[in-house]
Amino acid sequence: MSSSHILKKDHLIPLLRKLGKAYRLVAPMQNRHGDTLFAEVASVETMALDLDHQPQESLKPFLFPQQEVIAAYEADQAGYALHPRYAAPPPTLYFGVRSCDLAAILYMDVIFSQRTREPHYLGRRHNTVLVGLNCNAPFPNCFCDATKNGPFSELGADLQLTDLGDRFLVTAGRAQGETIVSRWPQFFSAAEEAEIKKQYQLYLEARGGFQRQVHVDLAIRRLAEGMVDEAVWQQLSLRCQDCAGCAYVCPTCTCFTIVDQPRSATSGERLRCWDACTFAGFTRMAGGHNPVEPKKAAIKHRFLHKLKYDVEKHGRPSCVGCGRCLDICFGGTDIARFVELASEE
Amino acid sequence: MAGLATTFGSGAMTNSINEIEQAQVILAVGTNTTEAHPQVARRMLDAVDRGAKLIVIDPRRTRLAECATLHLAIRPGSDIALLNGMMRIILDENLHDDLFIEMRTENFLALRDMLYRVDLAEVEVETGVPRDRIASAARLYARAQKAVICYCLGITQHICGTDNVQSIANLAMLTGHVEKEWTGVDPLRGQNNVQGACDMGALPSVYPSYQPVADPTFRRKFEQAWGVTLPEQPGLTLLDMTHSGGQGAIRGMYIMGENPMLSDPDATKVEATLRGLDFLAVSDLFLTETAQLAHVVFPAASFAEKTGTVTNSERRVQLIRQVIPPLGETWPDSDTIMALAARLGYPMPYESQAEVMEEIALLTPIYSGIFHDRLETGWGLQWPCWGREHPGTPFLHKYYFTRGKGHFVPAQPIPASELPDDDFPLLLNTGRVYHQYHTGTMSRQCPTLTREADRALLQLNPADAKGLAIRQGEMVRLTSRRGSIELAASLTEEVTAGSVYTTFHFHEAPINRLTTAAADPKAKCPEYKICAVRVEKVSP
Amino acid sequence: MPHTQSDPYLPQPARILRVIGENSQIKTFVLAFTDPAVNASFRYQPGQFLMVSVPHCGEAPISISSAQQATPGEIHLSVRRAGKLTSAMHLLAEGAIIALRGPYGRFFPMSDLCGKNLLFVGGGIGLAPLRAVIQSCLADRGRFGAITILYGSRTPSDIAFRADLACWEQEAGVQCLLTVDTPEPGWSGAVGVVPKLLDQVALDPAASKALVCGPPLMIKFTLAALSAKGFADQDIITTLERHMKCGVGLCRHCHLDNKLVCVDGPVFTKAELNTLHVMELA
Repeated sequence: MSSSHILKKDHLIPLLRKLGKAYRLVAPMQNRHGDTLFAEVASVETMALDLDHQPQESLKPFLFPQQEVIAAYEADQAGYALHPRYAAPPPTLYFGVRSCDLAAILYMDVIFSQRTREPHYLGRRHNTVLVGLNCNAPFPNCFCDATKNGPFSELGADLQLTDLGDRFLVTAGRAQGETIVSRWPQFFSAAEEAEIKKQYQLYLEARGGFQRQVHVDLAIRRLAEGMVDEAVWQQLSLRCQDCAGCAYVCPTCTCFTIVDQPRSATSGERLRCWDACTFAGFTRMAGGHNPVEPKKAAIKHRFLHKLKYDVEKHGRPSCVGCGRCLDICFGGTDIARFVELASEE
Repeated sequence: MAGLATTFGSGAMTNSINEIEQAQVILAVGTNTTEAHPQVARRMLDAVDRGAKLIVIDPRRTRLAECATLHLAIRPGSDIALLNGMMRIILDENLHDDLFIEMRTENFLALRDMLYRVDLAEVEVETGVPRDRIASAARLYARAQKAVICYCLGITQHICGTDNVQSIANLAMLTGHVEKEWTGVDPLRGQNNVQGACDMGALPSVYPSYQPVADPTFRRKFEQAWGVTLPEQPGLTLLDMTHSGGQGAIRGMYIMGENPMLSDPDATKVEATLRGLDFLAVSDLFLTETAQLAHVVFPAASFAEKTGTVTNSERRVQLIRQVIPPLGETWPDSDTIMALAARLGYPMPYESQAEVMEEIALLTPIYSGIFHDRLETGWGLQWPCWGREHPGTPFLHKYYFTRGKGHFVPAQPIPASELPDDDFPLLLNTGRVYHQYHTGTMSRQCPTLTREADRALLQLNPADAKGLAIRQGEMVRLTSRRGSIELAASLTEEVTAGSVYTTFHFHEAPINRLTTAAADPKAKCPEYKICAVRVEKVSP
Repeated sequence: MPHTQSDPYLPQPARILRVIGENSQIKTFVLAFTDPAVNASFRYQPGQFLMVSVPHCGEAPISISSAQQATPGEIHLSVRRAGKLTSAMHLLAEGAIIALRGPYGRFFPMSDLCGKNLLFVGGGIGLAPLRAVIQSCLADRGRFGAITILYGSRTPSDIAFRADLACWEQEAGVQCLLTVDTPEPGWSGAVGVVPKLLDQVALDPAASKALVCGPPLMIKFTLAALSAKGFADQDIITTLERHMKCGVGLCRHCHLDNKLVCVDGPVFTKAELNTLHVMELA
């Protein structure tokens, strides 16, 4: 059973200061060019905390980095040896995580532990505390109502914050959250019923605040029924500019590649890097055969994976409605465009 | 450059890139926009989504051509004939803009007289495009209220490059499609900062801001500013420098961030020239084919390791900021230049890049209002920017052309320097692919990009391949009068029969050993887009 | 480190014991793990593959071409020179060390094959995974019916696994038929694509299973020909080649609709493939 508390906004920075001593602290901050990104907090004193904008990237780069060394190797006349490498991040508290990004982490938890326990992701995830922040006002490209994981969500967060104006309603959803509340009780007071009611009112208002209607459920149904016309894939493939930006910013795209990076004639590193299923080389075999028709079938797979196969396998789509692919796509082939095309009779 | 300078008075995009999105008709000539300028292509396709008509003139069926309302697959090198044909139809059907011609242009009668001598039946033969399609393109373009022409290296890298550009300018002026927002003539630049390099006088005949070297007034201005005596004559063009075969007057060379061993035409000659120098210094990020010939190599810092500006196609000057200190022993190019100048007895003690920008503003009228502090916020400034209070210029030629009145320069078709014959029956066109940049110096370091495009492919029409008994993916030998390379064949309808196409990114298949150094006599831009070749099987 | 014990990416060094040149493009590498304990405990089934590391070249999936019972303590990998890794591997000689992890993938359903006549149809390097099944069957000959092996090559000089074919022919109840696309002087055997050989052998589809592997087009025509001969879809079994990076169901390079070939395959029956969009059947 979750418990509800009140944290006055005046006490947020003092609380973060305490948390920063116990954990490595990561929070959305504005850099000097005005971009909001999750970043490690070097100093609570000078941090430019930004809870008013959506971070341009999810937490994916922290838990599943764009590029990481998974092994070092030596190879010479005498032999060939590979040594695993593991990053060992200290216990980390991620602050200000929106419901879309929380849903994405829950998805990655499944992907990286279901078939095979993936040591690098799980090693990082193991030491993680998540402090969520409900979205009172959805951002322009968001549609997490349509993917049914927002704008308010308690799932996945150890502590979940709702902005009530001069205070946060704090819900402790998991043991780690309770631990924080009980370790620093001086910051928290009991929530009153009026405050819990206000949270519900804000939730209702937030649900009405979406600027975009993306009929994800309709697209899912039409895909399941095989009703999406081939011309849709043709149109999307003509327009896709092959930049893979959608896959890189997507909090649930977890395709990767493994490459060797020689560092000398006799040594090197094995890297795991993000990859994208829309690239022709993603499926092309050494002999030149490509089992997936470049562009058309590749882009089709991208959307089927998110809106059909994952629905079949996990009961929900792996699109979390964060809208980041809409921000980044300059070809007009983002998921909202697909849903729009797929929904046309 | 030269083509728009003589007609309009300024060699740059007349519009901003964003304006393309609002055009009703977009005429894309000699530009593989989706591969080479994806951010521009995005605006074109967005415009198409809004109902705009896209006309693509390209010998190849590119992806942009697939998206087009009308694709005119012309014979390579017949652009002038096609444009003249369009203009003749516009004239015949009275679709030209009389008032604009009267108010804003001069020398129209010369164009008119030339157009009246154009035989549309001949145009059809010369271009290989049916007359009704030429007419459709002409009508679509002329009737639009807002129409832009985008062109790229498919227009300029011809022996008649300047004439091609002038024909485009003629078409735009004939229909009044200049001097307005969402309407104009837009050359897309071949590299990220080529506009900036030209603006800064990295051309043999002009100082920054296109102030002629030969004009004593300008020369004096720069002599005063720099405290030196400057040569009275323009310098040598790139081809004059790189194609002397080692016997030229130039005995030493300093090459920065360029790889002419792969990127310049007739590259065998380039190699002879560079090897014949008394001294060669090269600055680059990696040890390129050119750097390997150098006596001294300066390891250069990348974009992320230095501060400065770039000027893009739409004349937008943007600040790039140092993110990390230079890695290893690398230096920013400006530091290398200053250190060299000091050793050569001419100290250039600039304290910062901002101070260099102040000097640019002082000496370069079109940049006179551009300072680093103004570039710190927002998205940069578009020249001309006449002073600190000036907001920059989104589109050119408002009220009047830069040169006063727009000048019609009639152009006649000029045959390519080398056409297919019995020995070399195919026509070679060269260009780029999306996943690689230029000679691959940087992009081939990235495993994912390299996976997507890891070798040169020779696009060959299946009909030609059948005659030569060449199979998909087979290695073939490609030979011109200047050289021979081996690469894999890619059979595709993207090229028409009689033409082949490949890229210049790969040192394993240095296509510029085959291309011709024949160049446009005015702009000295080489004819990369046409030379005669033959294709043979490697293994019998 | 809580997960070090089971790092799915970590291969084990293995030594090349022998190299058998099969033809100008294919070599069979006979390997054993350098660590005797690893080698002794290594178990695999016909149809499974290994992720092979060659220094500086990354990894590639290669199917095992031997059967555990037939080559105790040794693993055979038959490798066609195709890309960077396989080309580098072809340069390696006896004694060189590479690294292996696996075995991965769904294997041929050996228990379903018991008591059946077995028809093997291979093209080029495609005989490699079938070789593992054939070896396994011959090691336990009594459990299987008649064995027919149809093998197609581009030219007579491209015929690989000649030593194996010669051995198998000597076995009781084994028939081998070869064909080439393009004959050379001195070739007296069949000419034409592999499916044409089906007309030359006696088939009892109801009592048989067909196992097929080869280039995509060969698979396509062979599967169609087998169906025409009366084989039920669940009695036609093939194995697919795909680009793979992890081998353990994470990286998704080998996606096939809602399946991943590395864990849901590479062995599939035609009945299964019929429900998927497969290049080999398109």
